[in-house]
Amino acid sequence: MSKEKYDPYKGFRDLTGLWEKQMNSLLLAWADNSEFVKLSNRSMATHSRYMELLKKNQETMANLMNIPTKSDVQNVAKLTIQAEEKIDALEEQIWNLQDSFTEINKGNMEFFGELVSLSKEMKTELEKNAKELRETKKVKADLQKLRKELSDTNVLIAELQELRQGLADTSSLKSELQELKQELAQYQEPKTEAKVEKKELELAGVGLGK
Amino acid sequence: MAIESPVRMPALDYEKEMKRWSQVFKILSEDGPKIEHSPRQLVWRKNKTTLWYYAAEEKKYSTPLFFVYSLLNKPYILDISPETSVIAGLTKRGYDVYLLDWGTPGYEDGDISFDTYILDYLEKGVKRALRHSGEDEISVVGYCLGGTIASIFASITDLPIKNLIVATVPIDFSTGIGPEKWLEGMKNGQFEIDRLVDVYGTIPADYIYYGMKSLAPIYVSPYVGLMSRAHDSKYVDRWRRMDKWLNDATPFTGAALKQMFNELYKENKLVKGELVIGGKKADLSKIDCPFFAVSSANDSLIAESQSLPIMDLVSSEDKTYKLVEAGHVSLALSGMFAPLVDEWLAPRSTKVQE
Repeated sequence: MSKEKYDPYKGFRDLTGLWEKQMNSLLLAWADNSEFVKLSNRSMATHSRYMELLKKNQETMANLMNIPTKSDVQNVAKLTIQAEEKIDALEEQIWNLQDSFTEINKGNMEFFGELVSLSKEMKTELEKNAKELRETKKVKADLQKLRKELSDTNVLIAELQELRQGLADTSSLKSELQELKQELAQYQEPKTEAKVEKKELELAGVGLGK
Repeated sequence: MAIESPVRMPALDYEKEMKRWSQVFKILSEDGPKIEHSPRQLVWRKNKTTLWYYAAEEKKYSTPLFFVYSLLNKPYILDISPETSVIAGLTKRGYDVYLLDWGTPGYEDGDISFDTYILDYLEKGVKRALRHSGEDEISVVGYCLGGTIASIFASITDLPIKNLIVATVPIDFSTGIGPEKWLEGMKNGQFEIDRLVDVYGTIPADYIYYGMKSLAPIYVSPYVGLMSRAHDSKYVDRWRRMDKWLNDATPFTGAALKQMFNELYKENKLVKGELVIGGKKADLSKIDCPFFAVSSANDSLIAESQSLPIMDLVSSEDKTYKLVEAGHVSLALSGMFAPLVDEWLAPRSTKVQE
């Protein structure tokens, strides 16, 4: 028995393909003339005329029976489409607003960003200033202390002055004492001279009363 | 004694056949697959439009990605399955992804034009994504007609677009995939849609589906392909997800369709630099951010010639063009778009500061 499988459709398919191609070419060749085109046009015009007539009668009958026609439905549908278009237009306007808001928000965010950085800078400055103030206070306290010390020094100076005055007084006293001493010295001098004379006399063997 | 057959008949794999037909039965009897999205968060909603946020698994790039998908199909092709999801592929690679899902317009949205889509929905969505991400710049990725819208938006907006990526983008409407006479008829007024648009307000999804199907009316090979590979569960799952998405077209608002038909197909104003959106001229030369365009070589909806002119129109110094071996849908369906985007975008996105 042969292993070759028999496909009964292959030949049929090939033949049909050929036949179809040829038939289509033949039909199109038959139709490829002005007469066919004119005939088609006339048939179409006649069909259109009857359809117009049918439509007209339909409209008349529908009007008489007071029922809506396709044209009425068309008008209602158009209103719906108009409403859709308005909603679309509104949506687009909302987009524009959204975009503007986004822009404004972006601007605001930038502004806030700047504000935040400015605040940070100000905070840093403030901290710096507080530190400086603290230092100044410290300096002030030191100054106060110095001033106090200065005032103490002034008191000291005054006391010193007083002491100096006292010293001056002491000096005058001293000079007076000097003068007195001098005077005393002057007073003591003849006594000394007498003593020396007496001593010389004693040395010379002259008794004074012996 | 056994007689050998003169014809060698290969053996039939019964097991495989059983699996195949049980899968086919399952597909026929079960509901379509449930598409589960990658984890996402609602950022903004207006009318039927929703802005989704898919957070990066491990954020590597701070520049988020903003996906603008086509108006003709549902954007869940970018997040079709956990294995091949483009969005999950990018969130895994470290990108925060935003996806603007245009939603399913109703009769009442008939007067939503490209002007309204770009200025009232896309620009506001990008503003919200920028606001939500908290980033200063955003990379925009436009897929298919979403690439056209993203390019027009990039040429008129003042919002900070860091990179612009477009994939399988129609820019030059003078050329295309469809038959030549159809394009010619559109340009010379033989084929007009204004009256039909006025009467319908918003063109129903079926009309869009059959309009795209008209470029390839016979569509059987994907079903044959499915039958032939129905034994492969992974293939079946991928196929069912793709099939669900292909059959899940989106209604197209009348004003936008009129504008696309008259100003782009008929007058090719975008390439000429004459398209005016919200009073501003959509001049593609005003696009000067790094620019990346991807085209798929096997695209059945957008020809490479429709995308290529943008490379000359933008004034970006850093611009890259890449042609990949893929189809219009498979580029996203296979998830190969995610590594492509990552490869180009990674060096051009701001990395997350560690």
